[in-house]
Amino acid sequence: MLSLHPQPFIVAFSGAAAFALATVASSFAIRWVIDNVIVIRFDAGEVANGAVVTGLGLIIGIGMIRAVAVVFRRAFASIGMWRVAQTYSNQVVEKLVTQPLGWHRRHANGDLIARAGVDTEAAVSVIAPIPFASSTVLMIFISTIWLFLTDVPLGLVAIVVFPLLVATNVIYERAVAVHFVDAQNRLGTFSAGVHESFEGIQLIKSYGAEERETQRLTALAGDVLTPRVRAIRMRSWFEALLELIPTLTNIVLVVIGALRVNAGEVTIGEFSSVIFLFTLLVLPLRLIGYALSELPRSMAAWMRIQAVVTEPVEPDPVRKITVAEPGTGVHFNDVAFRYAGTETDVLGSLSVTLPSGSITAIVGSTGAGKSTMADLAAGLVAPTSGAIAITDGPRSIVFQEAFLLAGTVRENIEFGGVFNDDEIWKALRIAGAQAFVDNLPAQLDTEVGERGVSLSGGQRQRVALARALVRRPTLLILDDTTSALDPATESFVLDNMRTALASTTVLLIASRPSTIALADDVVFLSAGVMTGHGTHEELFETHAEYRQLVQAFEADRKEAL
Amino acid sequence: MTAPQSPSFGAGATDSAIVTIRRGLAVAPVLRNGLGLTFVLAAVGSAGRIVVPILIQQAIDKGIVGSGEVNVGLVAQLALLAGAAVCVAAVAFRMAQVRLGERSEQALYDLRSMLINHINYLSLDDHNEERRGGLVARVTSDIETLTQFFQWGGMAWMRSSTLMSIVGIVMLAYDWLLALIAFAISFPLALVLRAVQKRLVVAHGQARQSNGIMLGAIAEVVSGAPAVRAYGAGTMLASVVEETTERKARDQIRAALYGAFLFPSGEIFAVFTVSAVIGVGVWQGPTDGLTAGALVSFVFLTYRFLEPIAEFTEIIDQTQTAVAGLHRVLSVLDMPITPTEPHEPTPLPSGRLEIAIEHVDYSYPTRTGEHSDSAAGEGVLVLQDISLLIPAGQQVAVVGSTGSGKTTLGRLIARFADPTNGTITVGGVPLTAVARSNLRSRLVVVSQEPFLFDDSVERNIAFACSGASRDDVEGIVRHLDVVEWVDSLSEGLETRVGERGSRLSAGERQLVALLRAGLADPDVLILDEATSSVDALTEVRIARALDVLASTRTTIAIAHRLSTASRSDRVLVLAGGILVEDGHHDELVQMDGTYARLFDAWMSATSIRDGESMQPNK
Repeated sequence: MLSLHPQPFIVAFSGAAAFALATVASSFAIRWVIDNVIVIRFDAGEVANGAVVTGLGLIIGIGMIRAVAVVFRRAFASIGMWRVAQTYSNQVVEKLVTQPLGWHRRHANGDLIARAGVDTEAAVSVIAPIPFASSTVLMIFISTIWLFLTDVPLGLVAIVVFPLLVATNVIYERAVAVHFVDAQNRLGTFSAGVHESFEGIQLIKSYGAEERETQRLTALAGDVLTPRVRAIRMRSWFEALLELIPTLTNIVLVVIGALRVNAGEVTIGEFSSVIFLFTLLVLPLRLIGYALSELPRSMAAWMRIQAVVTEPVEPDPVRKITVAEPGTGVHFNDVAFRYAGTETDVLGSLSVTLPSGSITAIVGSTGAGKSTMADLAAGLVAPTSGAIAITDGPRSIVFQEAFLLAGTVRENIEFGGVFNDDEIWKALRIAGAQAFVDNLPAQLDTEVGERGVSLSGGQRQRVALARALVRRPTLLILDDTTSALDPATESFVLDNMRTALASTTVLLIASRPSTIALADDVVFLSAGVMTGHGTHEELFETHAEYRQLVQAFEADRKEAL
Repeated sequence: MTAPQSPSFGAGATDSAIVTIRRGLAVAPVLRNGLGLTFVLAAVGSAGRIVVPILIQQAIDKGIVGSGEVNVGLVAQLALLAGAAVCVAAVAFRMAQVRLGERSEQALYDLRSMLINHINYLSLDDHNEERRGGLVARVTSDIETLTQFFQWGGMAWMRSSTLMSIVGIVMLAYDWLLALIAFAISFPLALVLRAVQKRLVVAHGQARQSNGIMLGAIAEVVSGAPAVRAYGAGTMLASVVEETTERKARDQIRAALYGAFLFPSGEIFAVFTVSAVIGVGVWQGPTDGLTAGALVSFVFLTYRFLEPIAEFTEIIDQTQTAVAGLHRVLSVLDMPITPTEPHEPTPLPSGRLEIAIEHVDYSYPTRTGEHSDSAAGEGVLVLQDISLLIPAGQQVAVVGSTGSGKTTLGRLIARFADPTNGTITVGGVPLTAVARSNLRSRLVVVSQEPFLFDDSVERNIAFACSGASRDDVEGIVRHLDVVEWVDSLSEGLETRVGERGSRLSAGERQLVALLRAGLADPDVLILDEATSSVDALTEVRIARALDVLASTRTTIAIAHRLSTASRSDRVLVLAGGILVEDGHHDELVQMDGTYARLFDAWMSATSIRDGESMQPNK
């Protein structure tokens, strides 16, 4: 991880080393001042001014070095850490935009966003403490040597207590983490419940279920309470213990110190400075336990990131599509599709040829395979078997749910391509969006907000349609696109398209009779199999299931007449 | 828990922190009980931290008079005493922490329940789309900031304030001059830390905001994957995301740099304070009773004194965040509950219910204070002088274009809101005199976009009646003639519907909603029809189920499909909030007015235009 951005870490480690040395040195300064200034002044009554100046100079000077060193350590460790996080995010995003749709469908959206976002922070959270941890280790090492040099019994205390403190911390962090994770999960369940419940408030009110819902959510809130109280109880013991161990050690050091002073082995300054050093070390020792306890979480996040980053990019399904013969718009030759790991075909042995410039409606009930056929023709997924040939030229697909970026209308239409204003306005005109875009505060340069929230559903759909049309596609696929438009707008838009895109082959997934009416041909799908292909009239005459489906609309309408 | 009464007191946005905290304590009294004892325990705990400096002073001054003259026995006695004191302090500290922790968790739980209950009874207007996120945040993240505060900040306040006072007192007792010098030099530290801390908080907020923007950009790449792939826009989007990751990294680093200066500023003040104390102490000498031990002890006490200052500056921000969170929570509790519950409700008569609407006007309520943003359309009458009588058992369709007020009319009859003027009576009883639970058991609304819980089909249907059994659910499935549909689901009634019912089609979600309404078996059914397209088979099932449902009760359909209107006993046509036509479908078509025009438009959209050329391109 560090090798991604080595320079800041080199500076950080240097700062860490200087900090460790200065910390030990500061206890030396205290010792010098006690022995050579304070004790002399209070025992002998006089002390040379030079000694006072030297002593205070030592304290201030070493303190300054310590302060500067810690600035370097912390600042550069953070710089390195955030740069590494940035690199990880970019690496994941690079994969997100190159992996095909099939790969995306196998991964939950939330999971992918987490890997590019929170996981990168979790993974690097272990980095920032590395220079700190190394300086702590160095400090412990130097301090122990220093203590042994000062006095062997004092050094022995250090050898026992330092590891004991670190171990207590690690055990504590691990133990309490269980409850925190538990509480966090339950909080997640509670939050999701609240979100869902408030979203369904009208339903709840309709059935007078306010009280029931309050009880249900309150019970979920109560679930959060239990692990939290456990964590608090556990934490309170450890905090008391972590306070107690160094304090009791200090008391023991005073006794040992007194004995050693008595034996003439150490001075008052030496024994005070040992306690002082020990006091300075308590905080780093506590924090190192915290840093170490973060390690497993951090590693797990790092592995999740690496799983995405190192996964080979799957071949782009578009490459499997060949160029159709002149005059043919779309040619499916015995095409079948099933999702990896499943047993049944979503679409089975579909063979169909659609002439170039034709408009074909794909009709069928929910789950018949209409959208799969659209995705295959668009080159978004590759057929499990069979071959697809499409006219040469740009392909555009508009989905049932229009996807808009948080950007301007123009950016949403250009969508990575380059088009001039005339082309964009022309596309908007065909899509029936000219009037409303013209009325927007900044026309093409109006921000549409995240997912296009500032526009209505129909407006979003028309912008997405303009995005498809501006590319002057030779194949245009509309996946139930116009259902978000009211019938009048739909017929206006489809009429426009007929005249403006005469040479474009169009595939329409249709759920309204008025949409079917626009097509030359109808492909009827039933449970993944094409059971009919012909004009509306032909199918209506010969295909019972098709007739039934269309009649359902007709019946509704006739009844009204 | 029962419906909360509207609170009589109001809290403006100008409440000071103290007022907010006081009100918070009043709302969650658990917190206040025994706070004094907790504080005393915390003080005893803090006192443990001055034991070592005192021990050192005593040992140096009394035990270790010089090398070879150490009174080991006395030192050992002192050490034992100190050890005992430290243990007592540790136990006291632990008790304080548990008391505060448990009580605050309990208090926040109480507050949360209260808040959920209150929000559930807020009017639908208060639950509109823009505000929903805010209400969710009040119950989740705002309460969480309070939890965070109590888990860390609350204890830190107690510990730091008691520690600082005790250390200060001990320092003054040793030598008032040195103590004052230490206080004077460390005072600017508080100012410096506060300044850095403020910047740090701003920088941190900025960084989190950049992080949010980055996550938004990543979410676009992920959720827009089909469009991104279809248009080869990956490179463009990747570069957009890379800009956001760069900005986030820069903002995070900036925040980290402020953070990097926090610790050393404490360190610098510490060395200057210690140096000043030693310098003055040495200059002063043993006159006035200052001893070497006391001076050494001062070095330790100075560090102890400075620690809480650093902690204070941090918890001040945490406290501000928590108070702001508490304020937001309290302001929700202050939102009045509407429509109000009658004090002495009149029960609805049994049997079918007629609905009478007399001179009803409606305009959106206006609010003061922080919710004034919702006053869109203030003063504009959404409904104007509507009067009509719907006899018991009649099937009525309400039609009109978007914004005609037809949805509002349904909401008023369901008493999701009260009319601005006029009265609505159901079964002869004014709605304002009917108890909420009584009304809900007799009148059900099926909404346009029915809401489904992420649960099984069965549980979603059973939501209508809290005690409904499997048999009841199966009974209604048979009654509404949708057994075939239930059988077609992968796991029948056990099938999970996904978040918001996403695993079902729009039509299937409507079926579930109708089954739900059927199970509730109300006397009045208000049906807000869906606009979204439904596949033909489901459409047929819906129509069948609706016929069964409507036949036995007063039904008001807010109709988008005019076939529904044509089948009804009576059609009400609204335009601009006014009832413009009222009659049977056939009559209204004859009249050639608003309804006839709406009907023509609908007919042309839903038909196969047989006469038209099917070969437009050639």
